[in-house]
Order: sequence, then C-alpha cells, then structure tokens
Amino acid sequence: MPETQTKFTILAVDDTPENLDVVRGILAPQYIVKAAINGPMALKIVEKQPPDLILLDIMMPGMSGYEVCERLKANPETSHIPVIFLTAMEQTSDEASGFKLGAADYITKPVNPPILEARVKTHLALKQSMDELNKAYGVIKRQKDRMQEELNVGHDIQMSMLPLVFPPFPDRNEFSINALLKPAREVGGDFYDFFFINKDELCLVIGDVSGKGVPGALFMAVTRTMIKSNASGDRSPASIVTRVNEELSADNPQSMFVTLFLGIVNVKTGEFRFTNAGHNPPYIIQDGKELVCLDHRDGPIIGAIGGIAYKENKLSFSRNDTLLLFTDGVTEAMNPAGDLYLEDRLEAFLNSQNNLPTDELVTATLAAVEGFAADAEQADDITLLAFSLDIEPQELVHHQLELEARVDLSEIDRINQEFSVFASQHGIGAAAVQKVCIALDDLLNNIISYGFENNEDHVIQLTLDYVGERLEITIKDDGVPFNPFDQAQPDTALTVEERKIGGLGVLLVKELMSDVSYQRQQGSNVVTLILNTVP
Amino acid sequence: MEINIKEVNGVNVVEFTGNLDTNTAPEAESQINGLLDAGAAKILVNFENLNYISSAGLRVLLATAKKMMVSGGSLKICSLNSTVQEVFDISGFSTILSLAANEADALAAF
Repeated sequence: MPETQTKFTILAVDDTPENLDVVRGILAPQYIVKAAINGPMALKIVEKQPPDLILLDIMMPGMSGYEVCERLKANPETSHIPVIFLTAMEQTSDEASGFKLGAADYITKPVNPPILEARVKTHLALKQSMDELNKAYGVIKRQKDRMQEELNVGHDIQMSMLPLVFPPFPDRNEFSINALLKPAREVGGDFYDFFFINKDELCLVIGDVSGKGVPGALFMAVTRTMIKSNASGDRSPASIVTRVNEELSADNPQSMFVTLFLGIVNVKTGEFRFTNAGHNPPYIIQDGKELVCLDHRDGPIIGAIGGIAYKENKLSFSRNDTLLLFTDGVTEAMNPAGDLYLEDRLEAFLNSQNNLPTDELVTATLAAVEGFAADAEQADDITLLAFSLDIEPQELVHHQLELEARVDLSEIDRINQEFSVFASQHGIGAAAVQKVCIALDDLLNNIISYGFENNEDHVIQLTLDYVGERLEITIKDDGVPFNPFDQAQPDTALTVEERKIGGLGVLLVKELMSDVSYQRQQGSNVVTLILNTVP
Repeated sequence: MEINIKEVNGVNVVEFTGNLDTNTAPEAESQINGLLDAGAAKILVNFENLNYISSAGLRVLLATAKKMMVSGGSLKICSLNSTVQEVFDISGFSTILSLAANEADALAAF
C-alpha cells in the first residue's frame, strides 16, 4: 500500500469570508485549510492545534493582523509557525513593520494563485528543514551532555580513590607527607596512594593509567585495589609489583597499561625500598647536597605482559631528606608556544628552592608548572607527592638466638623453653610465643620422627632473628629431603567420623605464621618461618 | 603438664595446666582412655589453664571424640584462650567439636 504523507495544515485568517473561500479554493486539495474570520478565533484555533503555516490578513476590526502576529511570536509554543501576511495595499512601510514583527513573507491581494501556492510551498519546506535541524541539534546536545556526564563520572571515580586529607597521620611525628592531583578536563588516569602496611612501614604509590575517561578510571580503581591487597601481606616492592602485573596483564582486554612507582619506607629507620615500572624517575632533595634523581627502571610498565620479575632497589633516608614523586603531567606541561616543561626546568626549579616542607613543595611546584603553561589548556593530570623524614633514623637492632636440638622428642620442650625465655627478654607477646611453640612442636616432631634413619650424630639447628617486631626462624636439618609445605592439605570440612588423624600440623604452621618457605640447601632441609609479632 | 580429673554431676571434668603438645599428649591420651575404659559417658575437657595445643594434642581430642561417638557418649571442651581458639578454627575442630565459653555453661549443656 502506498504511504500517505501527512498533509500540512494551513490556517487562513481574514475578516472577509469571500477571501477565505478564494484561499481555500487555491490550497484546498493539497493542504488541509482551516479558516478564522478574526484574530481571537484564529488564536483559539492555533492554541487547540497549531497549524504548519498561517496566512494572516492585516486589516481586521478589533485585533489587527499585526497584533495576532505579535502574540503568536511572543508565545514559544507558536513562535516557530511561519506567518505570511495578506494585504490589500502595497505599502513598503507596512511590509517593514510586518517583517519586524517576525512575519515570514508578504503577499498582496488580490491573491495570484500560482504565487500563493509557490510561497506557501517554499515556507512550508523552510519550516520542515528548520524542524529537522532542531531535532538533530537536540540529539547532538543530548550526546554532548551524556559525554560530559561520563567525564564527570570518570572524574568522580578518580577523586574518590585519593587520600585527600592532610596531614593524614597526625599522630605520627616521624615524617611529613603531602600530595595533590590536578585533573585535566578529560580524566587523565593519574593516581597516588599511601598507606601503612604495618606499624612502621609506609607504602608510597604513584601511577598513570594509559586509558582515559571512565574505562581509564575503572582500570585505575582496579590497579589501586590490587596494589593495596597485595601489599598487605608482602613487604617487598618488587614482589608486590610483580604480582600486580601478573593479575593486571591476565585480564586486560582493552590492553591498558600503567606506569607505576612503588616504594616502602620504614619511617623509624629511614630504609627505603622501591620499584620503578616505567614511571618518571623521582627526585630526592637533601639539605646541602645536590639534587638526586633515582634514574633507573626495574621493569616495564605494568599490565601489558605477564611473566615479568621486577627488581627493587634500596637506599637510606637521612633526616630532612625529601622524596618528590610526580607524573608526566608535570614534565609534559606545554606552554602556548608549544614548549614542554621537561626535567631540566623541573630540576632548575627544585634547585632554586631550599628544602621546602612537603606541603609547600607540592604547591610551589604546581605553581611553577602552571606559571610556565600560562593559559594553554592542561592536557594531562598533574600529580605530585612529597615525603620527608623528619626524625633522626634509628638503627635497627637485631636480637638473635641460636639453638641446637638432638634428634630426640624430649628436646622439643627444651627448645620451646629457651625460646620463651628469649621472648620475655625482648617483649614478645604471649600469643606470638604460643604460635611459635605450636609451630616448632609440629615441625620438630616431624623432623625427629621421620627425618632420619639413625638418630645419632645428627643435630637440628635453629636460628631466631627478632627485629622491628618481626621474628624470623630458620630450622635446618640434614635428614631426608622433605618439604613439609608440599604435602596435601587435610580437609577441614569433614565430620568427626570422616576426619583422618594426621596432616594437621603443617596446616597449623602455615596458618599461624605470617609466612613460611622451604629450601633444600647443600644437603640440608631449611624451613623458614616469619611471624609479625604485632598484627 | 598437670592433669586434674574431677567429677561434677556425673560429668568427668579433665583440667589441663600447661601445654598439650608432642611430649604431653601421650599422658593426656592415657588418662582420658582410662576414663573411657571405666565407662565415662560424659567428658568435659577444661582448657582454662592450657597455654597452647599443637597437632599432637588435637589428635588426642579427635581420637577421643571418635571413640565417644561410637559409644554414644558426649564430649565437650570449654575455656579456650585466643590462640587455642584460633588453632581450633584453622583445623576445623571448632565446627566438629562441642565448645563452650566456661565450665558452668558446658556442664549445663550436658
């Protein structure tokens, strides 16, 4: 069936009924023609159902055509309807006033039929184009608003993950820390973080995600969470970064990646271990010494490929040393002439300042970069994180104990007794002592009961090292090669009837200790246990 | 380690003082087996003065529980300190054995 196009509706307004007939006669079969003999009636018809075009007589008693037109144009619902004035007189002043009021055109009476038809057709086509344009503009505006909304969401995700309160640890006097992130208009993917992994070790993180907008912000959220969860049981930056890279690169369909710098500083001793995965090398500002740049890489950007073992480096902070971490929003800031800020200017700026307190350092550096960039648009997030050691670093004291046990079950008691004495001498708490005794009981029982064919002349060596609330115990025996941690786990979900007697010892050791490991070294089994004595 | 056995309302209460580990588990097992051989149907193990328990001690408890299940007896354990509770949780024993916070609660539950 052929499609019928909706007919346009034309309203003709004239106080002379004969003129309305004429207009209807010309336009009727092609268009729907409505008629009104005065202004008020016309307005009523328009209000009920707006026509597509209005033919309007000027000279009418009561409300003139001009007034009708004025009212139509004043109402936003009807102002878009094209109005064509019909007039019996040809006077340019009238034409001018008509156009001023917003009329689309002017036709003189007596109406010439082809001219009327042509003008009506033209103005209806114009109106149709206008309507389509407005519709398209509406679509574009909605999309633009949606994109802006997306940018806002991305921005909110990014900001919600940043520690923004300074000073973040008011009860700690060993150090100062301050940071800021100035986002670009489009979420650029920078992030920073810092958190304690135990009582005295603070983890510092700064990174830059390759993706922009919401996907970039989400990838950053994932990265940050992975770092935090991996760092909770691991004190080695290399190990944390290696694990995070494995997890990120395994499930990364959009192939986003992150440049990352992660360091762990012991705020009591000043020891700083760090890993740089493709990130801008940070600076260390020291009293009376030259600016230091930690310029080396410990591995590639993270998230791209798995199977990479990252390295780590170590240094010791002195009192008042300040570490400045930053992202490429700083070094790649551009001025209106197209020059980049670059490391040279940053170094010149840092060298021009005295060793500033961390809060002044980040704001002054940002001001320097913004001063350089002037009114050029900021293309990337600018992030700065400053850390300084405020106390004299402490020497770490190691408390050590060496014991030897004969291959005899009665030795276990003696070992545990000697350990308990050592523990009370150095303030190790009761719960930690109990856990160690349980672990030693189970491990030594295994070694003594099963490790040797003939028990004479063998000796089990134990060394204990207690430093910074961390206890490290090694148990060394030259019995049959045996890795206690390589055995099947007992099923702890079985009922009393189903449970087998045995296998629980190693499970207890693994769960009670913070970390366990085994090595076979030159004919000896070496088991290492680590317990953080303060949870 | 000291083992003290008393009877309260038909329940054999076994109190341990010290550690239940490789060296002391055999004595504990022997004393408890003595009770079982004498027909004890209700045993309460009181850990109020127990410092810690290792897997050797857990084995004794599990063996006891199995025997009493067969004989239709009832075994309860009370007054675990935080490390002992942790050991029970890790090993899954806290779900298969009947635990109580103190002796009075345990006795009332028999």
